[in-house]
Parts: sequence; C-alpha cells; structure tokens
Amino acid sequence: MEGSPIDIIIFAPLAPILGVLLFWFIQLLFIESEKYLLSKIRHKHEPLCRFTNFLGILFQTICHALGYTVTKSGISDFYISVNYGRVAPKKEKKGIFEWISNVFLSIGPFFIPAFILLICLFFGGVNFEIITPSQVLELKYTFGEQITTFGTSLHSFANGFFGFLLNIDLLHPGHFGFLLLLIFLGMGMRPSYIGEQKQEKVDMLYDLKNIWSLIFRKPSYFIILFLTAYVFFYVSLFLDQNWYVALFSIFGWLSIIAIISLIVADMILLLIKTTDEILGLWKFMPYITMPVSYILVRLLFFYFPTDYTNIISLLVMILSTSLITYLLLKTKADRFKTEIDIKMSEKKDKGENNER
Amino acid sequence: MKDDELLKNEKVEKVLSPHPLSFMGYQALSIYLIIWGILFGWIVNFSEWQGSFAGNFWWSLSLWGIGLLLVGVIASLITVRWSIFVLYLCVFGSGTGIIFWLGLQENIGFFAPVYTIFVSIIGFLIVEVYRRSHKYIISNQRIKFKGGILTKRERTLRYDKITDINAKQSIIGQIFGFGTIIPISQSGFGLGSDKSEAAGGVMLGEKKAKFFGLFGGGKEVQTPRARSYYELHGVYPYKDIKKLVEEMVQGNVITPYQQEQVAFQKEQVDIQKQMRDLLKMQSESKDEEEEEEKKS
Repeated sequence: MEGSPIDIIIFAPLAPILGVLLFWFIQLLFIESEKYLLSKIRHKHEPLCRFTNFLGILFQTICHALGYTVTKSGISDFYISVNYGRVAPKKEKKGIFEWISNVFLSIGPFFIPAFILLICLFFGGVNFEIITPSQVLELKYTFGEQITTFGTSLHSFANGFFGFLLNIDLLHPGHFGFLLLLIFLGMGMRPSYIGEQKQEKVDMLYDLKNIWSLIFRKPSYFIILFLTAYVFFYVSLFLDQNWYVALFSIFGWLSIIAIISLIVADMILLLIKTTDEILGLWKFMPYITMPVSYILVRLLFFYFPTDYTNIISLLVMILSTSLITYLLLKTKADRFKTEIDIKMSEKKDKGENNER
Repeated sequence: MKDDELLKNEKVEKVLSPHPLSFMGYQALSIYLIIWGILFGWIVNFSEWQGSFAGNFWWSLSLWGIGLLLVGVIASLITVRWSIFVLYLCVFGSGTGIIFWLGLQENIGFFAPVYTIFVSIIGFLIVEVYRRSHKYIISNQRIKFKGGILTKRERTLRYDKITDINAKQSIIGQIFGFGTIIPISQSGFGLGSDKSEAAGGVMLGEKKAKFFGLFGGGKEVQTPRARSYYELHGVYPYKDIKKLVEEMVQGNVITPYQQEQVAFQKEQVDIQKQMRDLLKMQSESKDEEEEEEKKS
C-alpha cells in the first residue's frame, strides 16, 4: 500500500464522492438546457410540456414513495396528476427517517429512474462487459488511485454503454423499447416542476438551493452519512476489497445513463424547436425522413449484408434527418428568407447610395 | 344545429365533439393489436427463436393466440368487461378460420401479423367514426347531446333541470387539455352505480351426510356515469367548457333571493289587481248612482 497516511485516511474517501458530484453537476447542466428548450417550445407544444411535467412528477412521487418504504413508514395515500403528486405515509416518522425520505424525494429523481435502465441493461439481454476496478488496477488506497479507479470503472462502463447505443437495432422491439425508456427518462428527469404559470426563478440554482436547504436542515444527519461513508471506506481498506469505489461507481454509471438520456431528449427537443420554424407541412419532413431513411438502409443491408449495419443505418438516419432539416430551414423557413431579403435590400440600398 | 331546431330566442354558444384521444380506452385495444402484430412478426421471423417456429404451424398459432387471449383475459378482469376478451377471441377465431380456409398454414408468420395490424386499423376507423358521430350543442337555453353510428340518440337538457355537475379528467386528458363533464338531472339521469358483491360457500360432511350453505352480500354505490352520447365526453378545452356550463346553469337557476323577489312581485301584482277591481267597482257604483239621479 502506497501513499501518506493523511492521504489514505482523509483524502482518499473523498475521491469517488467528488467524482459523483462532478457527474451530478454535468447532469444538472443538461437538465438546465432541457428546461430552456422546453420553455422555448411551450407555446406551441403545451401537451408535450405537460407530458414531461407528468413524467417528472411521476419519478418524484415514485422516489418519495420508495423513501417511505425504505424507512418503513408505509404509504397511505398515493396521488399523481399532471400538475401535482402526493404521497402520504401511514406512520408519521420524525427525525432521520423523515430526513431520509426527503433525501429520496430530492435526490432520488436524478438516480432512481436511471437505475431502472441500468437493470434493463444488465438483465434485458444486452451483452456488454462491465469491468470492475480491481480488474484494471492493483488496489491502492490513495486519493489519486481512488479517483483513477473510479474513472477507469466509468470509462469501461461508458465504452460498453456507448457501444450498445451505437449498435442499437431500432427494428428490435427490446432495443426500441429501451430507447423509448431512455427518452422518457431524459424528458422527465428534473427536480423542479415547470408550471402553467411562469415562475421567475426555476433554474439550476433554485434546484440546488432546495437540495442544499433540505440536506443542511439537519446537518448532524449529513455528518453521520458522511462518516458512514468513511467507515465503509476503512472497512474496504482493511479487508483489501475495493467495495467503496465500486459503490460510488454505480452512482457514476447512473449519472452517465442519466446524462446520455438527457442528451437524447435535448436532441429531440432541439429537433422539435427547429422544425417549428419550417413552414406548412414541410415541418413533418424530418420526422418522416427519420424512419424512412433507417428502414431503407436496413433493407439495403438485408439484401447486401455487411459488417456494422446497425451503426451505419443509425448514422445515415441521423445525418439524413439533420441534412433535410437544414435544407428545409434554408428553403422553407421564414427566418432565412427574411435574412436573405434583408441582406438583398441592404445591398440595394448601398448600391443606390453609391450611385448617388 | 340547424336553424329549424333552434327554439325561440335560442342562441348557440358552442358546438363540440370529443377530442380524438378521448376514446383511448377503445383505441388502446387497437394499439395493443398493432404492438402484438409487430412483436409476433418479429419473434416468428427475425428473432433468435425463429428456428423454433419455422415450419411449426401449431407453435406459431399457439403463440399468436396466447398473446391475444391472455391480454384479453387480463384486460377484461381489470376493467370488468368481458367484451374485450370476446373481441380478442373473435379476432383470433376469425384469423384462424381464414388461415385454414385459405390454406395459409405455411405463411402464418406473414399472415398473422398483417391480419392483426389490419384488424387494428379497422378498429381505429370504427372508433373514429363513433367519435365523430358525437355532437354536443351548448346553447343559452339547453345542452343537446347527439351520438350513435347506426341508431341516432339524442338528449336535451335544460339548465334549470341540472342539479349537479360532475367533471373528470384522465391523465391523457390533463396532458391534452380535454375532459368529461356529466350534467346530472333532477330525475337522476347521469348517475350510474358501482356494485360489489362477495359470496362464500361451505360444504360440510362426507359421503352421505352433507350440508351445503351459501352466504353473501353486496354493496352498491351511486356514481356519476352516462353513455358518451349523454355526457360531454372528452370535450376540449375542458376548463373553458366547464366554466361555460357552470355559468349557464348558474344563470338559469333562480337563487333564493331571486325567489323572494318573484314572490314579492307576485304579491304586488295581486294587490294592484285587487285595487283595480275595487276602483272598477267604485266607478261602476258611481255610474249607477248618477244614472239613478238622472232618472229621479
């Protein structure tokens, strides 16, 4: 075992915690961009926004119910609507139990829905190998080595996950269902509700403030949780098992899944926002291009089999949809026409002025 | 609403139809057929288990039937409507009949998915025709409900006969902004009942001496319920329509204060009538006196 005692005893346990925090912040940034895109398309796609709200409330309510179940408070009332969700416990437990169920409510929506996808990945017949840190590195319990092990674990998981996503077969019902689940997860993952009436400050800082106030309402509980993590690290250290990093790696994996789902959802929202600018029925063209191009390429590969059919089909679909959208934006949207007209009129004006 | 259907001083406020997604209960039956058709086609023709079904007609038929009937039973048990099971049984039965009639046993992997999807499209069309047959006319005097594909049904409800308004919105309704409004009349039109029953039986004794007893009980709860053509089913925009109907009902119902006013006015009219009669009598008696004076 290498490294100074201070490094091992004090700083090493912090490494995976900081790693998870970093990924969680990235998640928050993507949630912020999603909220921005939703607010931009709200006036034209009210039902979609309501649907994403419903998904968000559904995740929150499930997490809250899970919190009550974990703390053995029981559930007496479970109500969910598009605007509001409510879970009431059978037994009103105070103290740490109440705090834990509230932590489930505020932090759960970031990780628990992603956990469903993780289970799907493991047990849904998706084959990719996840390398545990101990397979990669010789176990060392310093800050640097802990963060490297954490990073390596995430890297190996991300490799497998991206490999699966790039080779996803959209004509396979299971894969297609997984993609839908991924999109729904991305659409609904946000801690704050975007209501019918616009609120002034429902941004990332607002969410963070809520979580901060909840955690630090009872600082003693937070310290106990922190100390538990440290104790778990020391147990892992003495037993020479890297359970500690493995545990936080799971949170890292969940964050990666959540970030990917948010990116996919953001891309879809961006497509919706962009196509809104296209005039008339032409706006449906990108949505038609998407499945048609994919099916055509798959048909082509069915008759002329080759390697990497899934990834090529997926890329052709994405590229053709992007190209069609760009071309339609250039030719069938008001914005570009106006811009060109303005430029032309400016040129004319300049010409007239020069003649004078 | 045609002009000749309008009453005197009647003005149409809104003409409504149910939202395209308001019959999701029926549409879901068709959606499942599409999903199962595609899934079955994939399992039999493209999945890793396709070898088990290749050239094995009975396996394929069994799988297709189980997928339809099992979901039919589950859906029927959940909704307490055996018509769903019967419907899926009909789809399966007629499909099997066609397979044997046309000798398509070898091509079940192609026929069954295509047939299932075709039936679901027919289902969608029927639901759409049914939806379009509904028309709700809200005027300043009454609500007129119309509906039915073959048999045309109509109900007219005057606002002063509405005692209660029940409104409900499903999750899809909340997302798309539609909902159902059931006006309940004084006669109880718009009310249904939920009935739950429990029964138990006991059998005692063996061989010769037997005793059998059955006991049970039931409970009935009244709940707002009406056919889709007798309620404002899946109307959009829900909140505005609800407000409009409530305002109309409010505007047509006499409040206690107004009732007092009417009674007071009636009293005034009676007094005036009495005064008129008295004046008449007085003038008549005067005339008579004058005549008598003239005569004398």
